[in-house]
Amino acid sequence: MTLLPQLLVDALLLGGLYCLMAVGIALCFGVTRIINFAHGELIMFGAYGAYLLSLHFHLDPLLSLPLVAIIVALIGGLVFKLCVQRALDAPHVNQILLLFGVGLVLQNIAVLVFTGDERSVTTVYSQMSDQVAGVMVAYGRLIAFAVSIGLTIALILWLRLSDTGKAIQAVAQQRDAAKLVGINATAMYLLSFMISAALGSATGAAISFLLTITPFMGFHSLIKGFAIVVLGGLGSVGGTLIAAFVLAFVETAVSYYVPDGGGWAEGVALAVLLIVLLLRPRGILGQAVDN
Amino acid sequence: MVNDWIISAASMVILSVSWNMAANAGLISLGHAAFWGVGSYIAVLTANRLGLPLLVAVVPAMIGGALLGMVLAVITGRLRGIFFAISTLAVAEGLRVVAVMSAGFTGGGEGLYVNPQVRIGAHWLSATMVAGALISILVAWLLSRTTWHFAFRGMRANEFAVQMLGVRPVTYRVGVLGLVGAMAAFAGAVRVWYGGFLDPGIAFDLHVTLLSQIGPLLGGIYTLVGPVVGALLSVLLSEAARIWFGAQGFGLLVYGLALVLCIMFLPHGIWGLVRQLRTSRARRLSGGQT
Repeated sequence: MTLLPQLLVDALLLGGLYCLMAVGIALCFGVTRIINFAHGELIMFGAYGAYLLSLHFHLDPLLSLPLVAIIVALIGGLVFKLCVQRALDAPHVNQILLLFGVGLVLQNIAVLVFTGDERSVTTVYSQMSDQVAGVMVAYGRLIAFAVSIGLTIALILWLRLSDTGKAIQAVAQQRDAAKLVGINATAMYLLSFMISAALGSATGAAISFLLTITPFMGFHSLIKGFAIVVLGGLGSVGGTLIAAFVLAFVETAVSYYVPDGGGWAEGVALAVLLIVLLLRPRGILGQAVDN
Repeated sequence: MVNDWIISAASMVILSVSWNMAANAGLISLGHAAFWGVGSYIAVLTANRLGLPLLVAVVPAMIGGALLGMVLAVITGRLRGIFFAISTLAVAEGLRVVAVMSAGFTGGGEGLYVNPQVRIGAHWLSATMVAGALISILVAWLLSRTTWHFAFRGMRANEFAVQMLGVRPVTYRVGVLGLVGAMAAFAGAVRVWYGGFLDPGIAFDLHVTLLSQIGPLLGGIYTLVGPVVGALLSVLLSEAARIWFGAQGFGLLVYGLALVLCIMFLPHGIWGLVRQLRTSRARRLSGGQT
């Protein structure tokens, strides 16, 4: 039996999840030009939200996802209003370190509230799987894939078709020109920050039944998200989606074919990040982003 | 206990001065853990394999840190700002993965103990760390007296413009990152001898990166005195948080809050505030005529 079909299916399912993980970072950067170093913590909050609702109210993570997304979007809005807004025109150094600090605060609030213990959510479907034409498909991964792709497509359609979505794109392209035609740029910044936070928490809720949940899980998601966004090209949604599947494919291939691959697969995102930054900083489809 | 404080305060000073030096040249490092970790691994491995005493093992550790810094400077030659920061973060994390995976060489996830036969007394280690801290401050001061200082400031403001003045940024980048890497590697090397145990999680901890930035930001970035003041203050702050609240996570929460509040309300740090107060007092004394 050849491994290839299984590899392709696994990579596809993982890639869907990566799309959602990265598209939040991409949206936030594309509009506000700020890289959200706290995005990983928003993913972590989403996972804990799903965990708590499943623990206390026996809510399925898929049902709690909208609620969690709204709550985390509000937290994101608060973070934006309290600190990010003041730093919009600050030097990059300040923005990087500010959001790094915000992430640290959020992470350690989680450590204090939830302790460092590992948690997990079990659902009916998280243990189920099926053989289709000799390929093993885990239901949990399939569901997470469907949710992620659904949300990603919804985001893209909303950006393309709705008036607000077009206004956000206008601000992303040219802030001053957008202001001249009467768009409230700050409100669009706030909105995209909140949507980005909601997408992050949705990612967290979608992985809550696949991975163990700890306060420190955000960092790894953040790094992977960075790698995808940089590979795709900063500011390009299409590039981000391609890059998500490329990273998922390479990671899965490494864990299948390289001895001890599971451990090395951790490093794939880092290697990709570094190589792209060094050789082609604009990524697959991105525009040149100077400084 | 006292040795604990001296070691952590002195290593904080080294890290802060080193981070600030790179920041001076416009290079925001999110990868100080990489230098620290490489230094500590080289120190342990040379001591264990070759039986070298501490003061000798520190030399290859510093050379390793310096080489990493220089290589980083050369390969990231085009990157600035956010992109440089993210690539340093990736290097530190990547080295952690490599350290976990090459178990035959580094001991992998199970970690390594420093050979008890070469270990030396805690007070010697404290003294070495303090000496290192003093030397780093001296180096930073000497550097601020040379033309390098002006080249750094130019690079920070605008790397293109400074090239027109005949400054070759790559030369300075290689120099400063080599120096910065050696300093952080020294701190890592001495610290691991003090702790006696090393694993990839300890060596390439994101925490180290964080500790390196908190001092300069608290005390005053781009100044000579600021990072030292900030480093000492942050040790005090985290000890106080540990004693008052005790719980895991509180120390880091305090650091995070300090980081956020400083950037928002005190962008020039405490030393900047002191200087501002002094200037305004001088102005008042001179009758408001400036």
